[in-house]
Amino acid sequence: MSAASRSAVDAPAAVQATSLCKSFGGVPALRDASLTLRPGTVHALVGANGAGKSTFVKILAGLEKPDAGEVKVRGERVIIATPDRARQLGLNFIHQELNLVPRFTVLQNMALGYSLPTRAGLVSWSAVRRRARSVLARFDSSLSLDADVSTLSVSDRWMTSLGRSLMHEPQAIAMDEPTASFTVEEAERLYGVIHTLTSSGVGVLYISHRLDEVLELSDEITVFRNGEVVGRHHRGDLDRTELTESIVGRRVRDLRHYQSEAIGISSDHHPAEAHPPVLSAQNLKAGKRVVNATFDLRRGEILGIAGLVGSGRTELARALAGADPLTSGSMLLDGRTYSPHSPRDAIARGVALVPEERRSEALVLDESIDFNINLATMRQNRMRRWAPLLSPSRARSAAREYVDSLSIKSASTKQDVAHLSGGNQQKVVLARFLRTNPRVLILDEPTVGVDVGARAEIYELVKSQTSRGTAVLLISSDFEELEICDRVAVMREGRITTILPANKAGTNTLTALCYHHEEEQ
Amino acid sequence: MTTVHNKTLSEKSHKRRDFDPWSLIARYGAIALLIAMIVVFATTLPAFATFGNAVNILDQIALPAVVAMGLTIVLSTGEFDLSVGYQTSLAGVICVGLMQNQGWPIPLALAATILAMAAIGAVNGLLVAYFGIPSLVATLGVGTVVVGLNFAYTKGVPISLSDPTAFVNLSLGRLLGLPLPVFLMLGVAVVLWVMLNRTSVGLSAQAVGGNAEAARLSGIPVKRVRLLVFIIASLCCAVAGFFLASRTGGGSTNAGDGFLLSAFAAAFFGSAVLRDGKFHIVGTLIGVLTVGVAFNAMAIAGSDTSLQYLFQGALLIVGVGVGVLARRRSLA
Repeated sequence: MSAASRSAVDAPAAVQATSLCKSFGGVPALRDASLTLRPGTVHALVGANGAGKSTFVKILAGLEKPDAGEVKVRGERVIIATPDRARQLGLNFIHQELNLVPRFTVLQNMALGYSLPTRAGLVSWSAVRRRARSVLARFDSSLSLDADVSTLSVSDRWMTSLGRSLMHEPQAIAMDEPTASFTVEEAERLYGVIHTLTSSGVGVLYISHRLDEVLELSDEITVFRNGEVVGRHHRGDLDRTELTESIVGRRVRDLRHYQSEAIGISSDHHPAEAHPPVLSAQNLKAGKRVVNATFDLRRGEILGIAGLVGSGRTELARALAGADPLTSGSMLLDGRTYSPHSPRDAIARGVALVPEERRSEALVLDESIDFNINLATMRQNRMRRWAPLLSPSRARSAAREYVDSLSIKSASTKQDVAHLSGGNQQKVVLARFLRTNPRVLILDEPTVGVDVGARAEIYELVKSQTSRGTAVLLISSDFEELEICDRVAVMREGRITTILPANKAGTNTLTALCYHHEEEQ
Repeated sequence: MTTVHNKTLSEKSHKRRDFDPWSLIARYGAIALLIAMIVVFATTLPAFATFGNAVNILDQIALPAVVAMGLTIVLSTGEFDLSVGYQTSLAGVICVGLMQNQGWPIPLALAATILAMAAIGAVNGLLVAYFGIPSLVATLGVGTVVVGLNFAYTKGVPISLSDPTAFVNLSLGRLLGLPLPVFLMLGVAVVLWVMLNRTSVGLSAQAVGGNAEAARLSGIPVKRVRLLVFIIASLCCAVAGFFLASRTGGGSTNAGDGFLLSAFAAAFFGSAVLRDGKFHIVGTLIGVLTVGVAFNAMAIAGSDTSLQYLFQGALLIVGVGVGVLARRRSLA
């Protein structure tokens, strides 16, 4: 890599972005961000959730339009209006969702978007196959061109996606968290492939939360914080602690110090200790993303879960609420064994999940507020306990009660939820699950896309629930939001690694703990 | 994000929807079409606007309506049932066969037919809900098997009762001047309307149709609901097939096959009525009535049978088209 990168210094940059700015609804997501990707080098983008990395990459990919700033590809100023244009310019993106067609073979997937060679008007598959084979040969892949991609491992699928990018002879490839779900061996294989790519002059934009791999792989590192570029570093300029500090934006002393202190305090002084745990989880394992989670959730407490995207928080929440099966581990709910087989089971036992994706997982969009609020509690609206007939007036008055108490702004409870604002939609979902009278309420990113006013109201609501004894598990990427918690658990690569009391769970500490994943082993 | 939300603030958008012309056309266009047809036929065809003919139309649509309403329940969950026509045929054949070959009394034959059809509905439901086979394919397969069973049982020859009097009287019988099948239609309509709108099963079905994952995460037993709706559709086929056979006193191998198209046309056309693109019982009844009125007028006018098919096909497309447009507009 080094020979290639040295000779590349004089060549024009593969991609040069200057002073890119972007705001969403008046809130700046990216301010004055500049970056130069040289051919034949690996350039890492690092930063906490919401630091601006993804916005930056989306601009290059033609998915977002910058408000200001310019992009040059090989020295020429370009406007990347569409993803198609990005591809024409030789910029390729391997997102976390790989966009493969599951029933297609590796070859068919690689041929997607490739202008197929034809013979006498018919696609010449033998020419496509030759091209694909030579592409795969470049990174010595053991992939079979005729394998159905749905039978492949995550890393082989990733390689298929990479193969598809290489069909076009790209100038630059951006990789978004490629190793998030890779095993150690698979990651090693990827590092080899990246080396091959850079030796042939391709520039690699590498986005990752794994700082060790970033330090190992990258020729250059650009650090994002709060939408700004706050650091540009070269290979060997800095070590892990310095990089962490650059991301967090503050001196991080001894991380282990925080942890031991945290454990000490949480077991001695926390007021909620007086209560026995409502939900107690031991060594939970679920799917690939939840590796080991142990925690107690106490009556009337708000336990936050902090973690980076992909750390397994949502998967943990889903397993707790019966939406996904548990692989191993055990749970006690009010001292009795709890192993929900379905969300129905969980709700019956008093565990309710307000899911992450409001529109796709929570709302029936073309139904009314009334319908949506009553969805989980229809049986409460029966006219007589013994008859299956439901009373619409009971449903309506229940809905109206929640509309009033949560101040959901609407013309009537008959209105479709599709047209409500994000905040009001979220309140409708909250109302639905509050009506199930949960002992444990799990909130997954409850304020995403919710305006400031409604956000405060939702926090108030959560607080008032806890005063009635409900235990709340709050997942949030917005670490400031976690200030309403009594304790905050940090989740990293599928494990709950630390549980901090509120007074220790500052944004900086949490960010540092989310990244810190090596020393303790 | 925030700008979008500001723009779609509740009251404003509520008003805007009421003025959406597509929504208006979708909601009231179908009823307007029905009324217009009745007015035109009444003024041009002297034989059309008589009490006897009105009763005749109701009698004609009663059995297709029962099948269409059963299908509506399946459609409300977002699934299809392409086997309803074949099931109706098989139901007629089975009950006549049990009476003629086994000498079973009418009630017992009816009960056995209902059980048999419920079993077929359960197979549909199990394939779709528990084996995850797309309903279009599963019910087409089951429907084809049903045709096979039908031919295996009848050898392709219609079964006739040697003494059909009591059986035929079921269809000919009248109460308050109306044929019994009309009461059957009304009864099924009331039961299914109440089920779909006033029980947790029905509301669950609608939730599954609207957003199955949201329904599941809200504790609705999505698989059980899917299984149940297919059984309900099959029960409707059972009673419709039973009365269809009683019309002639015999079971013909393909007597109910045509109910498939009429049921889909009616249900889709009806889905555009009153509620934008959602399947519902009243809409389906209006759809069946529209088809029935048109067919009746065509028969009175002595027009070609080909027109009937053209009309039914057009209705299906218009129903789907207007429903889709209205829905797209209202969600835009």
